[in-house]
Amino acid sequence: MAGAGASAISGRAAVMARNATMNGAGVARRRVRARTWSAWSDRHFKWLLVAPAVILILALTVYPLVYSVWVAFVNFDFQIPGHDFVGLQNFEHVVEDPVARWSLLTTAFLSVSSVVIEFLLGLGLAMAMTKIFTGRGVIMLILIVPLFVSPVVVGQIWSLLLQKPYGPFDYLVGQLFGPTDVSWLTGNPWKYVSLIVGDVWQWTPFMFVILLAGLTSVSPELYEAAELDGVSRWQIFWNITLPQIAPLILIAITFRLLDAVKLFDIIFIMTGGGPGTSTYTTSFYLYQTGFQHFHLGQATAGSWIFLILTAVLIMFLVRRMLRPERA
Amino acid sequence: MPSGKRARRRRQGALSFDNLVRVVYLGAFLIFLLAPLYWAVITAIKPVDDYMTIPPVWFPEHPTLVHFTAAMFTYRGLVGLINSAVVSVAATALSVLLGTLMGYSFARFNTGGQHLSFWVLSQRFLPPVAVVLPVFLLYRNLGLNDTRLGLILIYTVTSLPLSAWMMFAYFRQMPAELEEAALVDGYGRWGALWKVALPLALPGIIAAAVFAFIFCWTEFFFALILTSRSAYTLPTIFRGFLGFQASSYGEASALAIVSLVPSIILGMLVQRHLVRGLTLGAVRG
Repeated sequence: MAGAGASAISGRAAVMARNATMNGAGVARRRVRARTWSAWSDRHFKWLLVAPAVILILALTVYPLVYSVWVAFVNFDFQIPGHDFVGLQNFEHVVEDPVARWSLLTTAFLSVSSVVIEFLLGLGLAMAMTKIFTGRGVIMLILIVPLFVSPVVVGQIWSLLLQKPYGPFDYLVGQLFGPTDVSWLTGNPWKYVSLIVGDVWQWTPFMFVILLAGLTSVSPELYEAAELDGVSRWQIFWNITLPQIAPLILIAITFRLLDAVKLFDIIFIMTGGGPGTSTYTTSFYLYQTGFQHFHLGQATAGSWIFLILTAVLIMFLVRRMLRPERA
Repeated sequence: MPSGKRARRRRQGALSFDNLVRVVYLGAFLIFLLAPLYWAVITAIKPVDDYMTIPPVWFPEHPTLVHFTAAMFTYRGLVGLINSAVVSVAATALSVLLGTLMGYSFARFNTGGQHLSFWVLSQRFLPPVAVVLPVFLLYRNLGLNDTRLGLILIYTVTSLPLSAWMMFAYFRQMPAELEEAALVDGYGRWGALWKVALPLALPGIIAAAVFAFIFCWTEFFFALILTSRSAYTLPTIFRGFLGFQASSYGEASALAIVSLVPSIILGMLVQRHLVRGLTLGAVRG
């Protein structure tokens, strides 16, 4: 098809070239070449637009992923030379590693509890901010601040607040409830609570912003009609508000949950995975295995297991999330 | 009528109760949000003597900026700051350029159908830890480890789903008539894109750029693994404070302030586009 088009154009070019002088022939040929190029680029316009981005993604995420399939099945360890095929041994190392299993549990626990708390607090904020009142604009600006802070910085600041013995939080608790010997960042279960608090501080605004967009788009007539019918506020909330913002709840939870399972930065700064390996998340475990102990084969095998688990979550949540938007 | 009046009275009573709850809840949450930021600022300007006291010094009587200079020079924050700025700006420019072209193609021609756009979106959710190891090995072979270029490329790719989908959403709600008119006027596809669509989409492009920038500016994981002694960015300097002593509280806080101020200001400027930015255009907002 493309060839036929090109030859038709070059046929016309031949006619034009015959009619032109020697000097004009070069110009005509150049013009023709420009025209065939522009015709070609117009024909493939939509693909040319996506090509650079697709090529970059292929080079920097798809190619590495494919390459890592090989890494997962060979010996790839900076301490042991050679890359012999080892079958499923890397995967067995991960599955049999109690630290890996514990890190998966920790990841599930921390991400689910953070997201649930963020959702509830964020919904409360959104409901408190639905009505217009003086000072709302300023409060809005303050509420979104944590979204623009690096998670590492969040972890650093919370470490400062929670550390013993000079941190302000420990002092205030001591004043209120008497001196404690609790270490907020290393004690059980406070280290988990601290990590969740850091995450909640940063990401509750995320839930808030999206749920507020949902609440403000619910038509006021629905509420007015319900109030005229004398429906109780609780029933309005359950039967009107929640169903109306359900799609946005799904979106907010999807985005948050898929980010929360990657939890790494706050762990790195606040607990360093410790004490011992008790606050390892999966990302932190894979980082330690690959980049501190240099068992690259094992870490890659582990990241493939993690990737497949997340992919299941993505397929489940994101497909569902996009469906109502498309309709 | 009487029942209507009763309902109204009940609503007014409920309203004032509502207001009380709202004020208390918002107040408590604002304290929770602001207290850590206050503490970071105060710690950054406290003289060293004020760190190891019980009770803590809530407000320093002799504020000092010495920690900022120490953070910039002793802890090499300045190099990190420059690296962060260069990498973030370059990656943002590339990401928004490629993302805008892709988003336009998705919105106007449905290129590749749902599969291609969903594939791009799914990159957003890919755990970095699954990609970083082979990228690290690839970069080692190409000599890209610990270079700004390497970081720019990986940030471009990881922020591409964001910029492509934000622009996809933006172009989708932008009427196509003007571009069609330009085509009739003989502009050609590229002319219609360059001279008509892009100028009209400028607000969306700026918003996408700010979000991509904040993403790059705050990123930690890739920078931690792919840089070491020369291309390190601002967030990675915080690993130097791990298990830190009281004497470096000030520097850590000063660095935190330096890191958070630019992105907070930028973020506030695009507040109007926040919902779209956070959900990659899945929600109009």
